Amino acid sequence: MIEFFHVSKSYHGRPALQDVSLTIEKGEFVFLTGSSGAGKTTLLRLIFCADAPDEGQILVNGRNLLHLKKSAVPLLRRTMGFVFQDFRLLPKKTVFENVALALKVSGVPEGVLRVKTTETLGAVGLGHKGNALPLTLSAGEQQRVCLARAIVNDPQVLLADEPTGNLDAELSGEILDLMKAVNARGTTVLLATHNRDLWRRVRRRVVRLEQGRVVEDGCPEV
Amino acid sequence: MSRSVTRFRYLLGEAADNIKANRTTTVLAVATTTFTMLGMGVFLLLYLNAQEALGSLKEEIKVVVYLRDSVPSREIVQLRSELSRDPAVAAVEFVSREQALATFRTQFPSEERLLNGLGDNPFPASLVVKVGPAHRSSEQVGTLVQKLKALAEVDEVLYSQDWIDNLAVAVRYLRVLGMGIGVVLAASMVTILANTIKLTLYARREEIEILKLIGATTGFIKMPFVLEGALLGGAGAACSLLLLRGLFGLAESKLALKGTFWGVGRGLAFLPDRVTVAFLLLGVMLGCLGSLVSLIQFRDARS
Repeated sequence: MIEFFHVSKSYHGRPALQDVSLTIEKGEFVFLTGSSGAGKTTLLRLIFCADAPDEGQILVNGRNLLHLKKSAVPLLRRTMGFVFQDFRLLPKKTVFENVALALKVSGVPEGVLRVKTTETLGAVGLGHKGNALPLTLSAGEQQRVCLARAIVNDPQVLLADEPTGNLDAELSGEILDLMKAVNARGTTVLLATHNRDLWRRVRRRVVRLEQGRVVEDGCPEV
Repeated sequence: MSRSVTRFRYLLGEAADNIKANRTTTVLAVATTTFTMLGMGVFLLLYLNAQEALGSLKEEIKVVVYLRDSVPSREIVQLRSELSRDPAVAAVEFVSREQALATFRTQFPSEERLLNGLGDNPFPASLVVKVGPAHRSSEQVGTLVQKLKALAEVDEVLYSQDWIDNLAVAVRYLRVLGMGIGVVLAASMVTILANTIKLTLYARREEIEILKLIGATTGFIKMPFVLEGALLGGAGAACSLLLLRGLFGLAESKLALKGTFWGVGRGLAFLPDRVTVAFLLLGVMLGCLGSLVSLIQFRDARS
């Protein structure tokens, strides 16, 4: 599903990733861990083409991102879902509109859009909050809206960058459970976190980065 | 079809949201656009009316041939008949001395006292020669005038060609001046709108970032801003047309220009419908151009 071949990336001369080789299979749930600045976010940014590697090759679904045309980037991103620590919701749009936006950009007809958005909001437990504005919701609810937006168009890959960074242990557990449910439906999940408690709760593959290098890759004993 | 409609409704809604979110900037932008386009409209109106007046004058190029008092009526009839056969002449009208006096009295009733010291009737008889449509160039009219001046029966020949030529030159200058001013005004309007859109772009920077992440194409991201520019430009053009219509009405009533354009042609006319539509479209296009300029400068709007 996602393959890294000797990928390196640096910003202003400072290496963020160094010779990273990695394969993530379809349907896998992978934790990407490491301290701040280890290269977790850089690795995710390279997958969704926000940046290009200095060296090496990245394949997503068999497509070499190096040879991907700029015009094809939006189409690639439509096969992915993103969850961020800071939610990145549009404050002036309702919860429903925020989630539906992911379908609107793909040109999904209004009728289908309504049904899918309503279903997805129900799946994350926010069926009753469709008309609310994001800033009136709790942090946990906002993150669930963000997750709903990420999965509403049935992505092949879900990329999450510190999705529980702003949440307490209980809410973090809820978000993790929702992500496991998404993964159970066949979506590949790549979750970047420096929160050890999170990956210790579930027995899944953990890739640990330090100073831009993969220093550990496997399923730790719980 | 349904997808396009959904998408267009969304994009138009976003453009409307942009406008609503920046009310003060929008009002200022529309006001500035209105006055900029009003400037263009005034020049356009002046130019079109001058052009129209010139056209009317050209349609009625007349040469007035004043006859010597000693010429007998029989010869006048003969001369008229000869002139009528000239290919350059469309029509010849005889104006007797009495008719000329009567016309003067009708047109200038307050100048009656001028006639008192000039005897019974100081006006000569004349032949008013209308020039044919194919013979209205300066050279052709000049040749005809020379021919008429050479006739023994003719005392003096007056014609409006010089005046018409001067007006034609003035209209040409007006067109060049109008185009120059129009280009400057259009450029300033594009700059104003580009800056307005740039403010919106910066205000919605984060939103643009999110749209890019969820797979929006560059077109999808840019379109609301282009539509916003089009709406602002169109609104400015519409307001300027309303103002121009008001000013035109005022000029007609207060400056007594109704009926004729400073005594020439069929009178002042407002912009024809097709020009009004073109003027609105110009506003829309300049608005779009302003948006595109700001989008080119704003690199973040690219997916």
